[in-house]
Amino acid sequence: MTKPYAYFPGCSLHATSRAYDESIRAIAAVAEIDLEEVDDWNCCGATAYMNVNEAFSHCLTARNLALAEKQSDQIVSPCSACYTNLRKTHRYLDEYSEFREQIDVALAEADLKYEGDLRVRHFLEVIVEDLGLDRIAELSTRPLEGLKVAPYYGCQIVRPLGIDDDPDRPMMLDYLLTALGATPVEFPMKTVCCGGSLMGTQEDVALRLCRNLLLCAQHHGADVIAVTCPLCQINLDAYQGRINSRYDANFRFPVLYFTQLMGIAFGVSAEALGLSRGIVRLGKPLRQSLEIQP
Amino acid sequence: MTKTDAKIGVYVCQCGTNISGKVDVSAVVEFAKTLSGVAVAREYRFMCSDPGQALVEEDIANDLVDRVVVASCSPLMHESTFRAACERKGLSGYRFTMANIREHCSWVTVGPEDATDKAKALVAGAVRRAGCLEKLERRTVPVRPETLVVGAGIAGIQAALDIADAGHKVYLVEKQSSIGGQMAKFDKTFPTLDCSACILTPKMVQVGRHPNVELLTDASIESVNGYVGNFKVSVKQKSRFVDTAKCTGCGECTAVCPVETPHQFEEGLSRRKAIYRNFPQAVPGSFLIDHPETAPCQAACPIGQDVQGYLALTAEGKLDEAHALIRRTSALPAVCGRVCYHPCESSCKRSAVDDPVAVRHVKRFVLDNSPVPSDLLRPAARTGKLVAIVGSGPAGLAAAHSLALRGHDVMVYERAEQLGGMLRLGIPAYRLPREVLDADIDVIRQLGVSFKTGVDIDGVGLDRLREQYDAVYLATGAHKPAASRVKNDKAQGVVHGIEMLRRANLGEEIDLGPRVAVIGGGNTAIDAARTALRLGASDVRIIYRRSREQMPADDEEVAALEAEGIGIEFLTAPIAVRSKNGRMVGLKLQKMELGEPDDSGRRRPVPVAGSEYVVGFDTALMAIGQKPDTEYAGSRGFTLTRWGTFEINETNCSTNVMGVFAGGDAVRGPASVVEAMGDGQRAAIAIDNMLSGRQLNDGLSAPAKSPEPISEEERLTIRLSNKPRRRIRMPELDPDTRTGSFREVECGYNAALALVEASRCLSCGVCARCRECAKVCQAKAIDYDMADTVREVEVGSVILSTGFKTFDAKRIARYGFGRMPDVLTGLQFERMNSASGATGGHIRTSKGKTPNAVGIIHCVGSRDRNFNNYCSRVCCMYALKFAHLIKEKTGAEVYNFYVDMRCFGKGYEEFYQRLLSEDVRFVRGRVAEVSDFPLNEQEKNRLVIRVEDTLVGDVRRIPVDMVVLASALESQADSSKIGRLFNVSVGKDGFFMEKHPKLAPVSTATDGIYVAGACQSPKDIPDTVAQASAAAAQALSMIGKGHIEIEAAISEIDPERCAGCKVCNELCAFSAISFDLESGISAINEALCKGCGTCAAGCPSAAITARHYTDKQILAEIEGVLNDLSA
Repeated sequence: MTKPYAYFPGCSLHATSRAYDESIRAIAAVAEIDLEEVDDWNCCGATAYMNVNEAFSHCLTARNLALAEKQSDQIVSPCSACYTNLRKTHRYLDEYSEFREQIDVALAEADLKYEGDLRVRHFLEVIVEDLGLDRIAELSTRPLEGLKVAPYYGCQIVRPLGIDDDPDRPMMLDYLLTALGATPVEFPMKTVCCGGSLMGTQEDVALRLCRNLLLCAQHHGADVIAVTCPLCQINLDAYQGRINSRYDANFRFPVLYFTQLMGIAFGVSAEALGLSRGIVRLGKPLRQSLEIQP
Repeated sequence: MTKTDAKIGVYVCQCGTNISGKVDVSAVVEFAKTLSGVAVAREYRFMCSDPGQALVEEDIANDLVDRVVVASCSPLMHESTFRAACERKGLSGYRFTMANIREHCSWVTVGPEDATDKAKALVAGAVRRAGCLEKLERRTVPVRPETLVVGAGIAGIQAALDIADAGHKVYLVEKQSSIGGQMAKFDKTFPTLDCSACILTPKMVQVGRHPNVELLTDASIESVNGYVGNFKVSVKQKSRFVDTAKCTGCGECTAVCPVETPHQFEEGLSRRKAIYRNFPQAVPGSFLIDHPETAPCQAACPIGQDVQGYLALTAEGKLDEAHALIRRTSALPAVCGRVCYHPCESSCKRSAVDDPVAVRHVKRFVLDNSPVPSDLLRPAARTGKLVAIVGSGPAGLAAAHSLALRGHDVMVYERAEQLGGMLRLGIPAYRLPREVLDADIDVIRQLGVSFKTGVDIDGVGLDRLREQYDAVYLATGAHKPAASRVKNDKAQGVVHGIEMLRRANLGEEIDLGPRVAVIGGGNTAIDAARTALRLGASDVRIIYRRSREQMPADDEEVAALEAEGIGIEFLTAPIAVRSKNGRMVGLKLQKMELGEPDDSGRRRPVPVAGSEYVVGFDTALMAIGQKPDTEYAGSRGFTLTRWGTFEINETNCSTNVMGVFAGGDAVRGPASVVEAMGDGQRAAIAIDNMLSGRQLNDGLSAPAKSPEPISEEERLTIRLSNKPRRRIRMPELDPDTRTGSFREVECGYNAALALVEASRCLSCGVCARCRECAKVCQAKAIDYDMADTVREVEVGSVILSTGFKTFDAKRIARYGFGRMPDVLTGLQFERMNSASGATGGHIRTSKGKTPNAVGIIHCVGSRDRNFNNYCSRVCCMYALKFAHLIKEKTGAEVYNFYVDMRCFGKGYEEFYQRLLSEDVRFVRGRVAEVSDFPLNEQEKNRLVIRVEDTLVGDVRRIPVDMVVLASALESQADSSKIGRLFNVSVGKDGFFMEKHPKLAPVSTATDGIYVAGACQSPKDIPDTVAQASAAAAQALSMIGKGHIEIEAAISEIDPERCAGCKVCNELCAFSAISFDLESGISAINEALCKGCGTCAAGCPSAAITARHYTDKQILAEIEGVLNDLSA
């Protein structure tokens, strides 16, 4: 009997990105993926803390790793920032023994110890590699026939130290979408930055970056944008209106987590997937998909 | 333990200040004088200079010394110098030894005192060793005058010509079909801009016609044996399927070839035919056929139909030719066009893109729409041999057809009144119209086959056949229904499916009643159900005890059945027949569920307790399998299996009874039409072998196992390189009305549909074997059966000039090569510029337009730690050449994105300066990305290069219309394999290692093997040619001498001590030790031994001595180093 995955939702999934958490739990139930939330987890430090105090930031993450290691041999994170931080700390501990000694001291203060045996994984990897495309296709009782999706990976999931895929032209999400019956459109900006937390500090820059992404999705004929990261989702979804007024545009892209699209294909209800939590309304193709009885 | 009578001279070198700057040389000399056996000790500024050597020579001449120690640099540097000095005065070079007090001492020791002490110790060791040195004799071996040159690019051609012109034989081996290598693809050469072809083709012609050069193209090296001066190399030549001696190069063949494939020589910019040559001036000029493997469809077909061939011909509308090709290997093509279960389609690689090609439907179209070719009806010369065939089903008919074509007289016996066996009795007319079957049989009859119907062959009959005929083939099928386990199955209304089909197919009146149950899940069940519907039953249902996934019936048949409204009850089994007055009124059924897997690997259905129920039926058709009826044979000594089938040799189909063969369902149990035909064909070949006095298995191999499924990786490659184009549906009669009669359900393609469907073939085997080219070849040069050949050549030396390959630009996904058609590699751009290339020398975008701006990206895969660290040396220059050509031909804006400009050769910097004045733009920075996504109007429909301009200090987006990637030069994929064969090591980048990077750049660590050109490191044409001539000169100098001296400091085996354990055989890195079976001990080949001593160290019985480095000599040296200084 394999151990359940140690599930690390991260702060976003308990706040702005509840839909991500809800849809993950919904599809995990359908696909019989055994997730067990890391007990007493803390913030990963997000993108900011690493730049403020690198050592402290690693301590935060190491604590999460140590906690997860008690529960499982794999920690899985759906948030690209958490994923990157967890992976970075794990790798640093593995490669730099002096650094490790410091962290060990810090963890010992909290009666914790990280052996370093965890596999750190993004939820997308677990879906594609462990569940497998064949099984996903089987579970897709309501395939997303004809739905054109822009597969947006964001920057953090692929580099550095990211998922096992081409950092410039990853295909994992594309393959997943195909298995769901959808059509991934060519999306050359699939790993280009959305602006990240600049939306809070340098809004002009972030709006410009997001606008480029939306333009690219429009240019390639997408109906919706699929994302793997809470920050990408909120930047593209919540600021679409502001981009429209700033650039005199008329974008109306629903921005969905890949797990929500999976849920739709698996026949899960709109409520269970948190589909109403998005800001941009679901378009016609998606609403049609939802009406089909699985 | 220095010998007391030795007179040792010690000569300590100051090496300018290299040694004396750290080591107190005089102190070392004084110390040496105190050592036992030392007669003289001297120092000198440069021992390697003439006066230095003279010191040694003089002392020898004056009989002062008979052993020499020089304390100076590394023996790698000057051992041979001092050995020669000794030998000039008659002292054996092996009485000399060196102490390395420079590399091992003065250069690497910190304090002068330590350095001096260390030098003393090293000298003491050398002195002790010198005392034990023995005189050794060198041997000489003759050198063969022939040379092997591997790789016929410009390097190989140049080396071959140099040697051949000097009057010696050269074997020039080339992997490709023509020589010239990469240079043959270039348009212009930098910096002089002269035309590459114009300077290369004369050399190609010269080498091709040279009386001393033997050209071996399409060739690879299989093995290398022997040693310097005497190599034996076996060379495998792939079949060209065209006789180079006969081919006149007229090109008629390409005109008729229906297969197109990407042109590798044109770097995929254009397409070529399956019969082709690389370019018009190719040497050799003969055409060749590209046929790397049998296509999977043909390999999967039991009768080996040339599937790809007739698809290609059909796609071109050549129906007569396609028909002829089909009939070559099929006795019942029209039948197969309707009912074959098409294993070809199951193995079709097109399924990786969308759906398999509808091979069967295309075949049917061809057969329905073209006449039987008359020349096929001409049987071969009669042999006068008689063959009897029992059974006129597919196995019997295929055997009859095949035997008749081979000139034998064939008589077919059939029990029924009509011919065809199961084809007629089992398959309903709505799938196989009777006139179609009759037409196929008629062709067989026209070949001279005789038939007798209504004859039941029993045991006695079989005896008589064996007496009357030279051979007998038993193809009696499987007609006996299997027994059911249903209770009360003798009730009236319970009929065997196969029996009902037989009667229906013979046109008998049958009353089934309105409600019919069909028991079973195979094709017979489907046929029975659909026939029942056509006989007037209103409610027909199939009862099957397993699940849909486990159903053996063809999916297409099941789909047709369901379309006609027949339901299937899965996981349901009948237990008993309910009857009234002996007449059936219903079935007691029970639900099943799947349990553990059974013998067939399928999960066994097990009854669900308490799930019994009763349904009313008038008739139950039992279609639960058939068995062969072989009672007639059992009594005649035939070996039968426990299922009652014949036991045969699976290669040649012979039974245990002499002269009798068997096949089809009588051997397999109920199987398919085409498998039975395959059996018949195989048996016919074996029978022909027997009748012609050959071995039974001649031309036969064991039946092929089912092919490997397509790997995920290949599936992806196929999918990415082909656009989806779905399979064309077969038009069918309306399911609502068609069940009223036995009219054929499938209507057949029309010409338009058939041609389009046939063109979906991916041409997996490239050459389709359609045999059209042979028809037009007047020189009769084409031979489809031509086999690969292996020949052995004996040579004295070898020159490796295997060249380079270019970096696969797809590996840098952000540059978009392979995705965006206007992103080209350097080689593609060369072909585009070539007058004989795809665009006739015009620079055109994929849309056929002249570009307004072109970007050239440097260092693609070079100077990049993700790929290759090294600089490829030629890219800057060819990028400049491209820039010039673009400017000259189109006037477009040209951007060079460079890291550093490296223009270091003769005239190169001048060329760079010229380009700067030609208004070419140079942007310093590594390109981040090539994008086809526009952010503004100016970028629309163009490629955008995103780059950090490090001179401006800004990120730029530069729109262009075409991007050329200056891809890195890499070692050949098989360089380490070639290296292993010739015992040449390769560096970490895969390039061959030269003996010394500066002083022996064309020699290798293996004597007699030289390297030239880009296989040693990336280099341009001038350097390559220079190196090639140098390698040729090395080979020639050895040939000129006629013999070579073999180093005497090698290992020897004491045969008295050798235990024959073979440990040394494995240890030897030079394959110099072999085991002699006769004497039971190992022996060393003196010419191959390098004297490395590994074997001596490894020998468990101490039977091996490394001469010049004996245990005694080494121990003495160690003692000297450790003891004498402190003594």
